[in-house]
Amino acid sequence: MTTMAIQNSTEVLAARKEHNEKIAAHTDKARATWFPWLLLGLFVALPLLQFTGNYNYVIHMILFTACYAVMASGWNILGGFTGYISLGHNVFFAVGAYFAGMIYARMGISTIILAPIAGLLAAALGFVIGKITLKVRGPSFIISSLALVMIARILFDNWEFVGGAAGVALPSTDLPVQWAKLPYYYAFVFMAAFTVWVSYKVKHSKFGMGLRAIASDEIKAESAGIDTRLYKALAFALSAFFVGMAGAVWGEYLTYIRPNIYLIILVSVNMVLMCILGGKGTVAGPVIGAIMIVAFNEFFVATLGASELNILASGLVMALALIFFPLGIVGTLAKHNRLPRFLNWD
Amino acid sequence: MTDLLTVKNIIAGYGNGPAILDGATMTVEPGKVHCIIGPNGAGKSTLLKAICGMLAIREGEVIYKGETINGLRPDQIMRKGIAFVPQERALFPKMTVRENLRMGGFILEDKTELERRVDEVMERFPILKERRAQLAGTMSGGQQQTLAMARTLIVKPEIVMLDEPSLGLAPKIVKEMFDIMNVMAQEGITVLLVEQNAQMGLKQADWGVVLDLGRTLFEGPAKEVLADPRIQELYLGSNKAA
Amino acid sequence: MSNIIQVLILGLALGGVFSLMGAGLSLVFGVMRIVNLAHPSLIIAGAYIAYWPFKLWGVDPLVMLPVATVIMAAIGVLLYKLVFEREAKSAKYSEMTVLLTFAVAMIVEGALGGMFTNTQRVTSPSYATEAIFIGDIFIPTGQLYAGIISIAIISALALFLKYSRFGNAIRATTQNRDAAQLLGVNVNLVGVVSFAIGIGLAGAAGVLVSFVFAFFPAKHWEWIAILMSLVVLGGMGSILGTVLAAFMLSVVAAFVGAYIGATWSTMTFFLALFIILLVRPQGLFGEKPELA
Repeated sequence: MTTMAIQNSTEVLAARKEHNEKIAAHTDKARATWFPWLLLGLFVALPLLQFTGNYNYVIHMILFTACYAVMASGWNILGGFTGYISLGHNVFFAVGAYFAGMIYARMGISTIILAPIAGLLAAALGFVIGKITLKVRGPSFIISSLALVMIARILFDNWEFVGGAAGVALPSTDLPVQWAKLPYYYAFVFMAAFTVWVSYKVKHSKFGMGLRAIASDEIKAESAGIDTRLYKALAFALSAFFVGMAGAVWGEYLTYIRPNIYLIILVSVNMVLMCILGGKGTVAGPVIGAIMIVAFNEFFVATLGASELNILASGLVMALALIFFPLGIVGTLAKHNRLPRFLNWD
Repeated sequence: MTDLLTVKNIIAGYGNGPAILDGATMTVEPGKVHCIIGPNGAGKSTLLKAICGMLAIREGEVIYKGETINGLRPDQIMRKGIAFVPQERALFPKMTVRENLRMGGFILEDKTELERRVDEVMERFPILKERRAQLAGTMSGGQQQTLAMARTLIVKPEIVMLDEPSLGLAPKIVKEMFDIMNVMAQEGITVLLVEQNAQMGLKQADWGVVLDLGRTLFEGPAKEVLADPRIQELYLGSNKAA
Repeated sequence: MSNIIQVLILGLALGGVFSLMGAGLSLVFGVMRIVNLAHPSLIIAGAYIAYWPFKLWGVDPLVMLPVATVIMAAIGVLLYKLVFEREAKSAKYSEMTVLLTFAVAMIVEGALGGMFTNTQRVTSPSYATEAIFIGDIFIPTGQLYAGIISIAIISALALFLKYSRFGNAIRATTQNRDAAQLLGVNVNLVGVVSFAIGIGLAGAAGVLVSFVFAFFPAKHWEWIAILMSLVVLGGMGSILGTVLAAFMLSVVAAFVGAYIGATWSTMTFFLALFIILLVRPQGLFGEKPELA
């Protein structure tokens, strides 16, 4: 009787192994990591169009999308992989912008060069804040992140050195109009590529597995020997790094830094929204979300104009997405095995 | 003989998870004590939750007094006369003992009748009367269990389902819990008992049900279940049988 | 000395209004476990219900109090049915509902902004601009009325919860949802009704807010963190705790405003929220961490 069971179980195990290998082979085949590289190549070559006419609008749109993709992919490391929803990540966007912007204004060092340092500063701040706020989870964490924005807003509004509520105007570039956007364009395109690459690497690393274990069940992750406190704080830092880096260059591109541009909740909401729409916790999701949000914004600004209606529309899109597609586009398609290969970057 | 409650081949599980109950069946006769035994994870507690409506039943039927009750909400099933005392005892920690008893009679519309029954139950359980003004959350485990069981008596239910009333209690207190259960049975209340300690549970029961892997393996008079050598070996500890 | 008493009185008057603003939020969390970030935006919706009749026909805002309560309660039922009922089965319920209420807050803000623009509004019935003088100390009548009405409404709510049959069902559901259901309480109904009461309270609070603060659709962002600080400090779900927290923090904020600077007054709430969440997430009066 018992030996029968063992024989059966070896057969079962063999069959299971075969089945798993089939799935693994299928996963390898279904993934299309070449697609982001193709996109990058296209985007690098795209400014050649400027020789044939003025495509500044196209360049601006791609730059804008790339900036959002950096922010959303950064947010995704904490919010998607680790499962801690932060509504306060615009604080790091602001920190990056103010740090690089102030040095740029005073010493003329380009923010593109300063961006990695600004990112590191944001990461250090993120690590410290994470060490404090990641003690709580779920709604408490979300609320604490909201409080963080409120505190930062008051601090920046009253910090005279950085211009208080009026902010600081930054010198604009003296390149001819046709080429003026290109440095920022390349900066954001490469930053986006870098962020997506790091996301991919993180997701498949031991560190990333740890983060995903935390997202699904923190107590079990801890009992499996993962130093959850450290992992979470590192995820927070890494995610703040990218957001801070994006903020640094965005300031110079906009030519001013002001609390009511960086420290409004809509900036954080956009990060959350992009990840939810695209698919939290996937590599391609935030990028697709960024494209969608930029497209939505363009559409609403073009047709509706007023910013109130923009907020209304963002809210509606967010509510509908949460109710009907909580997994986002990538997640929902993947769940039904309908994800086209070129969108599977995991 | 007509059954009071019949469970027919029910399949149920949590959320989208696997089926915990996978074809569980049992019959409940009026006025008797039924003990459900089985190893950990067999689906004993799940069966009680499925009957009382806390867990959606995917397939199968629960028939109570000739009426299918699956699909009804727990509060609707409770109003039909099936009371459930879950393992967690389901008290309101920040309400007093008296308020907890009053909540036990929530479905009674008549306020004076409710107060009368609350007093009646408190007379029968002196410990509850003594502690009527104490917050339920501050009482000992045994007192909480007493309150949870006594509370079901306020509405005079047809069936009381008890999920491991002995859990985490000292042996002396466990005996008290079984005494309360026996009093319920004497009053004609049908009891469904889930008990980890199978020997002890079956000795108090008229009817035994053996549940394993979500299925009913055996159902019969408690004495037969206790005497069956296969069941003794598998579920009652084979040493004692030998 | 009289200066200190003056600041104390202004703080207490503010605390009265904040109590009512936070009470509905606390009730909804207690029963439904929903952290309703849309609550302040619904308060502002309530304020507009008082504003337009006042502006157009000079109707006293207090007359609109029952009207706003009923309208907002109806909106609460609608919101519950449309948005939250289906989420009850979601595994990430608490997180999902926070994000959903956030989305609702944006929808309400956008809709109000689209209809009424972002201009600052305030109703100014005669009592809102008067003050009672006791020696050197003045009490603004508007804030006094608002505080008294808030406390009256909250007391009525507390009596309802403590002594009525349905109120008991609400309290029971707050403490142990499963147990309430097993004793015959229709917890879905309790959910809808408490949600309606909670949002109705937002409407009532909005009417009082209309003559105490200047308001505009985007104002709610500032209030979210303020109200959350009250509810968290009071122990999520405890209405009495919320009221006590409202008075405590408002008084502290009044002193900070008077002696350190008006800008830092609201900072009191934000810092308090941050610190409480991290040091004692169950709040001052909660017994176990309800939110973590």
